[in-house]
Amino acid sequence: MQLWLIPILPLAGFLINGLFGRRFSKGLVNTFAIGSVVLAFLWVLRTLFGLGGIEATYTEHYFTWIQSGALTVGCDFSVDRLTAVMLLVVTGIGSLIHIYAIGYMAHEGGYYRFFAYLNLFMFFMLTLVLAANYLVLFVGWEGVGLCSYLLIGFYFDKKYATDAGNKAFIVNRIGDFGFSLAMFLIFRQFGSLDFAHVFAQAPAAPVGLLTLIGVLLMFGACGKSAQIPLYVWLPDAMAGPTPVSALIHAATMVTAGVYMTARSWVIYTHAPIAMDVIAYIGIATAFVAATIGLAQNDIKKVFAYSTVSQLGYMFVGVGCGAFSAGIYHLMTHAFFKALLFLGAGAVIHSLSGEQDMRRMGGLRTKIPWTFGVMLCASLAIAGFPFTSGFFSKDAILLAADHRAPWLYWVGVFTAGMTAFYVFRAFFMTFFGKYRGQEHPHESPPVMLVPLVILAALSLVGGKLFNVPDFLRTVFPAVEVPDEFVPMAVASAAGLLGIALAYLMYVYRPGIPDSIANGAKGLYTLVYNKYFVDEIYDAAVVQPVVNGSRVVLWNGADVGLIDGIVNGIGARAKGIGGVLRLAQSGNTRSYATWVAFGGVLLIFGMAAMVVLGGLR
Amino acid sequence: MNLLLLVLLLPAAGFLIALALPRSSPASSRYWALGISLATFLASLALLGWFDRTLAGDQLTVDWLWISSPEIRFHIAADGVSFWLVLLSTFLTPICVLISWDHIQNRVKEFYAFLLLLEFGLVGVFLAQDLFLFYVFWEVSLVPMYFLIGIWGHERRIYAAVKFFLYTMAGSVLMLAAIIYLYNRAGTFGYAAILDQLASGRLLFTPFEQMLLFLAFFVAFAIKVPLFPLHTWLPDAHVEAPTAGSVMLASVMLKMGTFGILHYALPLFPSAARRCAPWIAVLALIGIIYGALVAMVQPNMKKLVAYSSVSHLGFVVLGIFSFTQLGLDGAVYQMLNHGVSTGALFALVGLMYERRHSLAIEDYGGVATAAPWLSTAFLITTLASIGLPLLNNFVGEFLVLQGAALANFTWAVWAALGVILSACYMLWMYQRVFYGELTEKVRSHMPDLNLREWAVVIPLIAMMVWMGVYSKSFLDPVGKTTARVLEQTQVNVSYRVDLRMPQRTEVSRVR
Amino acid sequence: MSASPMFNPTDLIRFLPEIILTAMGTSMMVLDPLLNRRESKIYGTLSVATLAAAIVAAICAYSQPGPAFGGMIVVDGFATFFRVLVFGVGILTILPSFSFLKRQQAETSEFHALLLFSIAGQSIMAAANDLIVIFIGLEISSIASYILAGYLRDDKRANEAALKYFLLGSFATGFFLYGVALIYGETGSINLSVVHSVVVGPDAPSAVMVGLAAALMFVGLAFKVSASPFQIWAPDVYQGAPTPVTAFLSAGPKAAAFAIFLRIFMTAFAPIGEAWAPLVWISALLSMTIGNFAALLQNNVKRMLAYSSIGHAGYVMVALAARSEIGTAAVMFYLAAYACMNVGAFAVVSHLSGKDERYQSVEDFAGLAQKQPFVAAMLSIFLFSLIGVPLTGGFFGKFYIFKAALESHLVWLTVLGLLNSAVAAYYYLRILVMMYFRDPGDAALSAEPLTPALSAALILPAIGTLFLGIFPGWVLDFAGRSASLVK
Repeated sequence: MQLWLIPILPLAGFLINGLFGRRFSKGLVNTFAIGSVVLAFLWVLRTLFGLGGIEATYTEHYFTWIQSGALTVGCDFSVDRLTAVMLLVVTGIGSLIHIYAIGYMAHEGGYYRFFAYLNLFMFFMLTLVLAANYLVLFVGWEGVGLCSYLLIGFYFDKKYATDAGNKAFIVNRIGDFGFSLAMFLIFRQFGSLDFAHVFAQAPAAPVGLLTLIGVLLMFGACGKSAQIPLYVWLPDAMAGPTPVSALIHAATMVTAGVYMTARSWVIYTHAPIAMDVIAYIGIATAFVAATIGLAQNDIKKVFAYSTVSQLGYMFVGVGCGAFSAGIYHLMTHAFFKALLFLGAGAVIHSLSGEQDMRRMGGLRTKIPWTFGVMLCASLAIAGFPFTSGFFSKDAILLAADHRAPWLYWVGVFTAGMTAFYVFRAFFMTFFGKYRGQEHPHESPPVMLVPLVILAALSLVGGKLFNVPDFLRTVFPAVEVPDEFVPMAVASAAGLLGIALAYLMYVYRPGIPDSIANGAKGLYTLVYNKYFVDEIYDAAVVQPVVNGSRVVLWNGADVGLIDGIVNGIGARAKGIGGVLRLAQSGNTRSYATWVAFGGVLLIFGMAAMVVLGGLR
Repeated sequence: MNLLLLVLLLPAAGFLIALALPRSSPASSRYWALGISLATFLASLALLGWFDRTLAGDQLTVDWLWISSPEIRFHIAADGVSFWLVLLSTFLTPICVLISWDHIQNRVKEFYAFLLLLEFGLVGVFLAQDLFLFYVFWEVSLVPMYFLIGIWGHERRIYAAVKFFLYTMAGSVLMLAAIIYLYNRAGTFGYAAILDQLASGRLLFTPFEQMLLFLAFFVAFAIKVPLFPLHTWLPDAHVEAPTAGSVMLASVMLKMGTFGILHYALPLFPSAARRCAPWIAVLALIGIIYGALVAMVQPNMKKLVAYSSVSHLGFVVLGIFSFTQLGLDGAVYQMLNHGVSTGALFALVGLMYERRHSLAIEDYGGVATAAPWLSTAFLITTLASIGLPLLNNFVGEFLVLQGAALANFTWAVWAALGVILSACYMLWMYQRVFYGELTEKVRSHMPDLNLREWAVVIPLIAMMVWMGVYSKSFLDPVGKTTARVLEQTQVNVSYRVDLRMPQRTEVSRVR
Repeated sequence: MSASPMFNPTDLIRFLPEIILTAMGTSMMVLDPLLNRRESKIYGTLSVATLAAAIVAAICAYSQPGPAFGGMIVVDGFATFFRVLVFGVGILTILPSFSFLKRQQAETSEFHALLLFSIAGQSIMAAANDLIVIFIGLEISSIASYILAGYLRDDKRANEAALKYFLLGSFATGFFLYGVALIYGETGSINLSVVHSVVVGPDAPSAVMVGLAAALMFVGLAFKVSASPFQIWAPDVYQGAPTPVTAFLSAGPKAAAFAIFLRIFMTAFAPIGEAWAPLVWISALLSMTIGNFAALLQNNVKRMLAYSSIGHAGYVMVALAARSEIGTAAVMFYLAAYACMNVGAFAVVSHLSGKDERYQSVEDFAGLAQKQPFVAAMLSIFLFSLIGVPLTGGFFGKFYIFKAALESHLVWLTVLGLLNSAVAAYYYLRILVMMYFRDPGDAALSAEPLTPALSAALILPAIGTLFLGIFPGWVLDFAGRSASLVK
């Protein structure tokens, strides 16, 4: 089936644009960049049709990557239904966002560089999805991290951008720490890293070990998918261009953690404790991020936290054993969150760079198309009945309810908050009267077309692609009775949130400030994201850096060790000095020395002889 | 004419002739050095054809009597490990010639002469099969490096050079004592012969004897590696050395130590080695983390890279003393990787020094705007050295860590911390040097790569990718040799070998 | 043993080298008034020729090995080895002295005559097999060298050095003579072979007495080889004496003294080896330590080399402590290597020191590599050899010595010795640092161009050093074959 073509096409695009793009015209760059991704998308379709039902996993082996002792890691790709979903999402959404970017980046410097990175990202993301063993997956895993680093720091002359890039990479590295340890344990236990082999043996493995592996893997996922405690990099990641936020930090890369945990479902189903941990972390993240989202004024920040929160949902799904629900939400979230970001991008674009919602408002007349698509997206994320978000979120909440009611209720409350802050943003942007100076202009068609397609997907995508049904053969069946009440409650919470937002930001705009003043402490706490960044900095970063400088470098290295080394030298010279004192230069004293030595020697010799005689 | 001999003697001949070249025309020395080093490299490439990858033992042997009594033989041969290290040396020497092309302007003739002498010594160290011959090359390689640092180095070069010489000397005299002791016990300097006697039990050491001998060898090697806490010569030597010196030092000379441990210390004194393994592993772990942390706070690029070497070499030692196939393979592969990527780092730092005449990080910033290709090359190298998959270091680090995990999972946990830290210090440096606003000072001093510099950069990056993507082409012969080493470390080991290991590998063979 | 009373022609051949030297030396003295000053440089050429002839003679003599003059002297490999060695040293001393004496306007015949006499004495020592002959050789050699040390009449330091050397020297020789007397009293013989057979024989004298004699001789000889605790004189004398003479003292008399040291202690006193070995052990360790550590602080190169030569005497004592034929061979090899590198190094010093030896400090070597790269290169060969870097004679010398020591289970002495050699590296490196890493000082700038004689004086020992370092086998084989002294 030539699976390798799928990632290689974007890679080719990357190489061509990366090496020669500087001399290319924009048109040529587009041809290679967009062309390669669209081709990949088409090839995915062709492959999937070629494979038909994909009842069993289809694997291709290309070459042995690492061979040492008992360890053999092949460069293997495989496709099953889970992969199929991911492939479609990545290449599909990817293509749309690439097209959108043509318009968005038109006036930016480093045009070719941008698309080169984007293609490189596609390559790694597809590798991650296609991987047939943990190590190849890890290749993609690290690779997308790299691209995110490069794209967050795309405006590399801005310090905040490169800082954000480093932060993203390093926090992800911390996550990978867990991932790699998990891999070591897996190999140590199963003697292989191939999914097929590992999952075949997993049921027989000791539960304790599986739990440890599961938790470590989840730690890796926390890094990639921005869960507590490692979510801090994602909001900063918005420093990158908006299409990047949409593609990498909303639709695809950040969901890799969810994909990976779902992929390892066999391990988790045999490690219930690990599952619980995932569910709890997920729900906590969903809730905390949502609260932060309530108080942000930067439109991209709002959606960033909403992303964190939605990823939390997916984790809840996975943690409750509803793997398909998690993937389901992953897909729908890709639709509407990508749309939200792109829409926000369109807004920002139309205001030539303004991101603060306090300087927006009343845009619905000025940029009607954008307004329309944003409405679809907002409804979807709010879980408005029969939008895509509605189905996936319900699937998760039902599973949560089935697992533990309190999870469900927290989830519902969070859903309400989500609806609220999304529509808060929506209203602040499009309603009221315009508060900015710029002259808003509607985006070019090349940007609008993708938006419209995504809008359609956000509305009907959920019904159109019934992922849980499609994935039934992959994951163990979770019997979740289709109860009406919880569903109704959930959507009600969403509607309530919308209504509240309307009340506070359109009907009576005065209320928010009064609340903010009312609960000042709480407000500042939330507004400043609970000061988590500051705490990390003070508790981890500074101690490490200063400790290294003062204690290790100046203290141990220069002071102690080199001190000893140079000290030895000094001692030696000291000894030399002492010995030199004998050298008085006075002949008589020399003669004394000789005589003295002679006497010593004679007695010594005599002693030796006598002793020798005694012996 | 044995090809191996050619590879060894070409640099020596080159050195002698370089001495004869006229001082008046530096160009002649440059071109001569380039020519001879390229010729050596080609010869060593030809070795690829002759080298039989399926053999574990020594190949392409040359064995002549050098001195009749005590019998010292000029006995050289290559195995799956030394073969690659030789290739590494011959690969890097022409690169060093090229990076020094404009950088070295005074006493050009001597510079290239010493460079070739250095290559001779290094190749010899890896090929020698006679303990005495090994020691000879070991010391010979010391002299040219001493001069390279001392004559063409930076401000504190003299301190650095003398420190380097004495540190190494102090270690190697103990090794000499041990070698002579071995000779008196075994009656030969022949490495293979001694191993046979050990294997057949004709030569037996008391545990105490063996421990002393092991330590005598190990300390000499550990200083070269350098293993914490014997590493303090390295930052000085690296910072003060000229670019080519730093490259050769980091890429090849440090490997003399790890190679020595792998090739001599382990097979000769297996039980002592196994008994010390836990302690040495701990030192290696300290080195990994300590080196990374200290690197993070360095204000000087070269010093930063130097400390990062301490960290990377810690991985190598850890891998060796995990006594697992993966660990050893990884360690060897890491030697090669570090040779390529850190060599490239020093080369690139050198190129920047030539432009801006400063090594201080704060003197840079915004270089990416001024010299995009230089920055790209540096970025790729950085990524390689922080172990990004599909680039060389990842494979080695993974194998080492996996091997360590098999031996003792806690080791792997600590070592993996080093992987996080490596990202911190390298990216932080990269950000401060290449990103940010472009200052006028930098702009005026930062032309992008010229043709000669491309010729330096391309091969290195190509190697990083190749070694990262298709490690098989390197690991096959390595595996054969390391497997043999492992076996040798099991012959007549008085020390109880940890029995959990074989079982585990049993498990892992089920596939 | 039979001392044949009648005159035997082969005796003359076996004694030929000494005859040549003495004859030539005397005739030079006579020649002096007949020649005017302008032709004075022919003395040097003459004495070089003489020494060359002596070498040939020594080899001829070896063609008919055996005792001469009733066993008072014996021509064997050992003797020949040391004869050739001291003659070689003589040549290497004279070659650089040309320009030196010229600089000091001191080109007289007595310098060369004295040198020849001293060498003749050493040659006798090398071949002597009889305590009295040994003593005579020792005195001939010493008295000549006392005068040589003070050869520059109007140089205060030189005179002081000569005086010290003379007083202490005769003091020490006194000890030696007592030892001889004591042995004669105890064994009734002064012939080493006889003494040996008596000591091991049935009616052996009391070991204490023999030990006492050994101790007394030890003092005398240890003084000559400047081994601790009798090294005290060396630094002052070496520094004070004219550089060529220092070079000579550091190599020639030392080698000869070690020759008789071996000859006596490996034959006559071999039976009480257990008794004297520990003392040699201690003396070796002390010499190495004192020499190398004291040298660390020296700033005057001659003085530094003086201390270093104490250290090297210590290394040789290590081989002596091994008390084996391998040890003896190692001593012979080491002394050969040491002669090459040390005389060579001193040759550079005397070349650079300039008029009245102004430039003697380490700093004066600054930038030599840039002004006179050839000289610097030669000196670095010698220095690396002194450090003991492979492919130089010095390295193999050390190697054989410590190998012998380990074979005699002197593990600790070996380890300490090797650590010592690591310490020693430091002060030799200082000179290298100066030459290569610093910019030229006025010493290097004012250095005269090389004369043919001087370049010969540098190249020959350099070749020797490298030859011993790369093909040590040849010399070592010879040494090994002639290392058994007990006839």
